[in-house]
Amino acid sequence: MPKTADQLQNGETAVIASLHEGDFLLRLAEMGCVPGTRIRREYQAPGGDPIAFRVDTYLLGLRLDEAQLIEVLPLDEGGTL
Amino acid sequence: MKRIALLGNPNCGKTTLFNRLTGLQQHTSNLPGTTVEAHHGEIQIQGETVELVDLPGIYSLYAESDDEKLVVQHLLGIGVSKPDALLLVLDSSNLRRNLLLQQQLQELGYPMAAVATMQDSAKRRGLLLDISKLEQQLDMPIMAINPRSDRKLGDSMSEFVSTLAKRPAPILAPNDSAEKLQAFFYGEKPKGLSMETLLRYNRIESILSVCQEQRALGWKSITVKLDRWFVHPIAGFAAFFAIMMVLFQGVFSMAELPMTWIENGFSQAASTIGHWLPDHILSSLLTDGLLPGLAGVVVFVPQIFILFFLIGLLEDSGYMVRASFITDRLMRKIGLNGRSVIPLVGGFACAIPAMMATRSIRNRTERLATILVVPLMSCSARLPVYVLLISLAIPAQHFIGPIPAQSFVMTAAYFAGIFVALIMAALFKAIHPSRERSEFILELPAYQKPRLQTVAQQAWLKCRSFLQEAGSVILLISVVLWALSSWGPGDSMKQAEQRAQAVFAAQNASQGTADAEQLEQLTNSYRLEASYAGHLGHAIEPAIAPLGYDWKTGIALISSFAAREVFVGTMSTLFQSSDDNLSGIRARMQQEVDAKTGKPKYGLAYALSLIVFYAFALQCISTMAVMKKETGTWSWPISLFVLYGAIAWVGAYGVYHLSISLFP
Repeated sequence: MPKTADQLQNGETAVIASLHEGDFLLRLAEMGCVPGTRIRREYQAPGGDPIAFRVDTYLLGLRLDEAQLIEVLPLDEGGTL
Repeated sequence: MKRIALLGNPNCGKTTLFNRLTGLQQHTSNLPGTTVEAHHGEIQIQGETVELVDLPGIYSLYAESDDEKLVVQHLLGIGVSKPDALLLVLDSSNLRRNLLLQQQLQELGYPMAAVATMQDSAKRRGLLLDISKLEQQLDMPIMAINPRSDRKLGDSMSEFVSTLAKRPAPILAPNDSAEKLQAFFYGEKPKGLSMETLLRYNRIESILSVCQEQRALGWKSITVKLDRWFVHPIAGFAAFFAIMMVLFQGVFSMAELPMTWIENGFSQAASTIGHWLPDHILSSLLTDGLLPGLAGVVVFVPQIFILFFLIGLLEDSGYMVRASFITDRLMRKIGLNGRSVIPLVGGFACAIPAMMATRSIRNRTERLATILVVPLMSCSARLPVYVLLISLAIPAQHFIGPIPAQSFVMTAAYFAGIFVALIMAALFKAIHPSRERSEFILELPAYQKPRLQTVAQQAWLKCRSFLQEAGSVILLISVVLWALSSWGPGDSMKQAEQRAQAVFAAQNASQGTADAEQLEQLTNSYRLEASYAGHLGHAIEPAIAPLGYDWKTGIALISSFAAREVFVGTMSTLFQSSDDNLSGIRARMQQEVDAKTGKPKYGLAYALSLIVFYAFALQCISTMAVMKKETGTWSWPISLFVLYGAIAWVGAYGVYHLSISLFP
């Protein structure tokens, strides 16, 4: 089931499938959010926004509307699609 | 002399490396018309001097914010000469994202080498890097270093840097990278940049598949565990406020002892020198003008050092970014950005570097709003004024509940500034809503043990520039003030002396107790009132009398435009305090009695009113000059000068009359 990154649960890992076109596309890509990258939701700020993701090997804080631009495919416990 | 530019992602250890290599031999430079800074330092390698330039950390060369643009300006030679070679700093624990910058740079044709940092944290994340394979893949020399703990860093780096300085420029296939960067720099948005970035990541994947091995997926991180607390809705905000309180109180209490030493040292020096020198006008310039002025500068070095040191610790440990993270939602509501928190907290040290720190905010309106409210944060220059006034009017033994009254008033002054800043930001948002997109996208670096030596070194560099810049202004002003208060129009000074003698004689006749010292004090105060400074003070007295200030305070207020802390130096010159320290001025001020009411002239209402005035008014000329540079127009600093001046006046008026009616 594809969803966007903000819909992941804390601790849930996924693989980035695609990015929505738009202003943030270049910025997100530059920060390593490109298709095929592992992304894991770690925690969120009070009020649920922004959200901290582990992208590949580092922590990245994204606002809700920024995370909504990232389409992901969740992985199961064993790390498979 | 060869120039080598240091480049790398934010948080990659680049600045630590730069500080380790150059030590205190560094200075900053501004490009004409901007305040974005590059740090320069010189190192000696085998008898030759090499200049290192530390540029702001960036993720990509497609520059939007001003600090990123500075890097592109250096690389393309726009308004500044190009470096001869590039030294790239690569974070091994984050190699994939770090290599994007390398891929972009290698098309510009510079001789290039790289150092790989953070090997230990890469290993902890199960990443094994083969440096020699990476060298082959990237076709440049790479050395693994640990700038934080490597004792012999200087030796190994000097050989590496000297090889880099001799490296020839690579021969490249023709490409249009420089043109594209230049077009982007000037505001064009060429199509296909996102696709280009995705393709670069494909190339990076194939490089990494050769030279990096991922052993385990494990990512046991204490950072995420700590963050559960630091971003918690209750614990996180509690920690934030606790840290801020420790910051303010720490500056106040830790600086007390060294300040006493400096004060005592200066008053010793002044009395010794005064004793040895003949009674001459130049001796008076030295002991009444220069020395009190100098003491007024040096005495605040401990506070400024401690403030910059503590803020440096917060930034270096990685905490400040978490403060941005938890406050972003709130800040967005009032037209700021979570990223505004770092400049706002920096504003407690000094508004000038704080306004420069706004350059990482990409949205222009949010950046402007942050710049406009930064001067409302009580900077370290206001601290000495608060300290003098609080100690003047509030006894140290008084408590408000469990809190010492002095600390309470100090903290209240800081919070008053913050409160008005938030209101101003919200007002600005209402008048001037942003049309641009607002973005956060912020890396949360792993927590690390702050590097005490580096942080202390940076704090000391700030103090040094305070001593040089503010110091020379303050010295100049104390000399001017000394001159203004030593001479008066016509023979008014002579008349004043005669009047003082007449009054003294009358007192002597009625009481018979007066002594020579009383005559001197009386003469001094009559002379001061008759001097040019006295005339100046009297001229503005009508505007400030409703706030409870007399003409002497007026002179101090005018001189504060150079720098707020000049207030203390001015007061000490005006009150000709015999021992040039805070307790000396305080004693003199406490002696003054209001002729009408018979109560102390400089009491609680006076002190509180002045604290409020200093908390809000935009007095510092340097702040206004930097604000003009950052916003590109004088209309912002001038309108804020009027607006914050009005708020300060009204606030001080209200507080003065309220405290008179509450504590008669």
